[in-house]
Amino acid sequence: MFRLYTRLISIRIRSQMQYPLSFLFDTLGSGFGTLSEFIALWAVFTRFGTVGGWTMPEVALLYGLAETSFATMDMVFSGYDPTFFSTQIQRGMFDQMLLRPLSLPVQIFGSEFIVRRLGRIGQGLAVLLLSFFLNPIQWTLVKIILVPIVIVSTIAFFGGLFIVGATICFWTVESLEAINIFTYGGTTMISYPMHIYGDWVRRFFTFVVPAALLTYYPALYFLGKPDPFGMPPVMPFLAPVAGFAVLATAFAFWQVGVRHYQSTGS
Amino acid sequence: MESIISVADLRKEFKVFRHHRGVSGAIRNLFTHEHRLVKAVDGVTFAIEPGELIGYLGPNGAGKSTTLKILTGILVPSSGEVRVSGRVPWRERRAHVARIGAVFGQRNTLWWDLPVIESLDLLKHIYRVPADRYQQNLNTFRDLLGLDEFLQTPVRSLSLGQLMRANLAAALLHDPDILFLDEPTIGLDVVAKERIRQFIQQINRQRATTVILTTHDLSEVEKLCERVMIIDHGRLLFDGQLEELRQRFGGERELVVDFAEVYEEVSVEGAEVATREGQRVTYRFSRGAVTASTLIGRLSAKYRILDLSVREPEIEATVRRIYEERLLDK
Amino acid sequence: MMYLAAARLAFQRQLAYRTANFAGLLTNIFFGALRAYVLIALFGAQNEVAGYSLQAAITYTGVTQALISYLTLFGWWDLMRTIRAGDVASDLSRPFDFFGYWLAQDVGRALGHLILRGLPIMILYALIYRIALPPAPIHWLAVTVSMTLALFISFCYRFMVNLAAFWTQDAVGIGRAAWMVSVFLSGFLMPIAFLPSWFSSALRWMPFAHMINTPVEIYLGIADGSALWLALGQQLFWCVALYALAQLTLAAGVKKLVIQGG
Repeated sequence: MFRLYTRLISIRIRSQMQYPLSFLFDTLGSGFGTLSEFIALWAVFTRFGTVGGWTMPEVALLYGLAETSFATMDMVFSGYDPTFFSTQIQRGMFDQMLLRPLSLPVQIFGSEFIVRRLGRIGQGLAVLLLSFFLNPIQWTLVKIILVPIVIVSTIAFFGGLFIVGATICFWTVESLEAINIFTYGGTTMISYPMHIYGDWVRRFFTFVVPAALLTYYPALYFLGKPDPFGMPPVMPFLAPVAGFAVLATAFAFWQVGVRHYQSTGS
Repeated sequence: MESIISVADLRKEFKVFRHHRGVSGAIRNLFTHEHRLVKAVDGVTFAIEPGELIGYLGPNGAGKSTTLKILTGILVPSSGEVRVSGRVPWRERRAHVARIGAVFGQRNTLWWDLPVIESLDLLKHIYRVPADRYQQNLNTFRDLLGLDEFLQTPVRSLSLGQLMRANLAAALLHDPDILFLDEPTIGLDVVAKERIRQFIQQINRQRATTVILTTHDLSEVEKLCERVMIIDHGRLLFDGQLEELRQRFGGERELVVDFAEVYEEVSVEGAEVATREGQRVTYRFSRGAVTASTLIGRLSAKYRILDLSVREPEIEATVRRIYEERLLDK
Repeated sequence: MMYLAAARLAFQRQLAYRTANFAGLLTNIFFGALRAYVLIALFGAQNEVAGYSLQAAITYTGVTQALISYLTLFGWWDLMRTIRAGDVASDLSRPFDFFGYWLAQDVGRALGHLILRGLPIMILYALIYRIALPPAPIHWLAVTVSMTLALFISFCYRFMVNLAAFWTQDAVGIGRAAWMVSVFLSGFLMPIAFLPSWFSSALRWMPFAHMINTPVEIYLGIADGSALWLALGQQLFWCVALYALAQLTLAAGVKKLVIQGG
């Protein structure tokens, strides 16, 4: 099963590397592009002082975690990207997948793998490592283990959102652009400390769509900052719960979508 | 022997929603659910034995593709029973799909960017075909379908005929028990059609692969199939041998004769003159009343004939006739 | 006359995409609000930074969101597609100005986007936040002129980038890089005035800032008096310069097409 997955994505990777110079240009370009944006943001923010009381290196920690996770998700879950998936359905490719003796998720994950995202992943990692260097973090074993856990949880969270967006394509393709609010918007939102948003926004993203658990609370823990909202001390460790709860719900919704597709045809 | 495909009272209905236009229409769409029910398949029952080569005919929109989608497991029916090799297609998708092959006319199952051979190789892994069996099949198909001509070509550069041949090979690599073909020769030239037809026939005869072929080309059916099923408006109008179809519903045939000269009087017993154009006369006669050879015999006794041909009624005309004359309503 | 028809057609086409534009509108509001939150946090207790009040800065986020679809900031591929499909050869042989034809279509589209997304965004912003408005009638006039010039600059840039399809198979990659560069250098993310002065001065020497930052500064009244004339003058300069470059690129592309046979 996994071997077939690697076979499928190696086809996609080979086809993207067809023009190696152009591919390099693309990948490095997107990496430098996003990095430049971050540097410009940094320049602007330092002119102001702080972002709601957080220093720039502290914001960089949030930003680095969010960017690394999202860009990795974007690469691995390329097949579930709603825009891509909707064209797949329209071309009849989903019917083809139903006709192959292979699990549907494996086929969809294997249907695309956007390698140039490595540029943005690199940028995220660079900012993250910079934040580790600039912030006076008291490293413990727990904190070290928490970093990859947070990243994987955030990948699962946004991957789940991608799957939800793709599932909606079974019903309609018209309002797809709105999904960007949750994916790109969500990533940008968790790149900043939660308290700059209004109360009801913050509560929504802590209890309903628990994005605050992905970067904000872990960051508080890493930096040793007190929680301004007085939540229970377990909060920084709930990222996996948030991430995988969203992913599991997304897959359940996906099953509903597939059943709907099979009963109404294309 | 257990039928390989058995279908009992199969029904499939689609809800077609009324779509309102404009901005106010978009708001109405949110609240109303006005729809009408389209019965794509309306109580179809049949059984297919292993090794049969069946023509599944009907005009456009008759329900052929819907039936095929249900049999392949892509679509779930509204009601009715379906068993393919003992399985319910949409319930045991992976097990079911591993034993069938499907080719849809003008559509593609292979990977666009890859050379054909690499697509086939990938399918070998997906269907877990043993290496030596894969090699055997590949060699056979290279021979029968002339694959060498384009084995290294990327799928996106293939002509339609080459694409269909590649897709056929791909569908049979894993030795499926059943091959579903949905208008596989549509859009192809005569030579390409013939090649594919011969291939299908050989596969059916040599490997006893059950073949279900949907088409609305009667001549294709005549060349390949003995058993024919006709569907229209979701109902099975006819299920039997081709010859029976002709005998019972073939109705009127035409004999087109080119005489050596323009005769004044061209009447003949058993047939009526449909049209006259110079030396060409078209006779209409009914199958039950007189055979073509008798008619020809009578004509050649009276007149000098240069050339002649017999025309069979088209499937659309036959289906219309069955439907309009409600010939199956007993 | 046919240019007017082309423009009208493009305009109507935009109006037909109502649901898609509505979804895009929601996205714009969300991102605008997100930026506004960040700016509010940045300003903190300060009243004014680099000539911007908090109100002006928030208005900035709204106007830039409105400009996204007006200038198709994140990508415009239509011309590239016709080149790749080979349709461009027949377009070029027709008895009208190729550049003018595409410009007319873009103007129609831009007006459609302005009405369907630009204006609604500003109205919603006015309802949610206290936004700033141009201080005097002369500013309204200046804004209109500036927006028109900005569209022309943006169009020339996009036109040239799309022409890359004449030379390479991977024009899409070049396009992506080109849009990223233009967005970054245009002052879309942050008013240029907030950047280090050496950087903001450098940016004013490039065309991109005059697509976004300049029209907004004129709208906010930050570019006032002689600064206003300077800003409009700079925009005009880039209109002429990019127009010339676009024509040169087009001529080179046509030559290549004729030699290669398309």
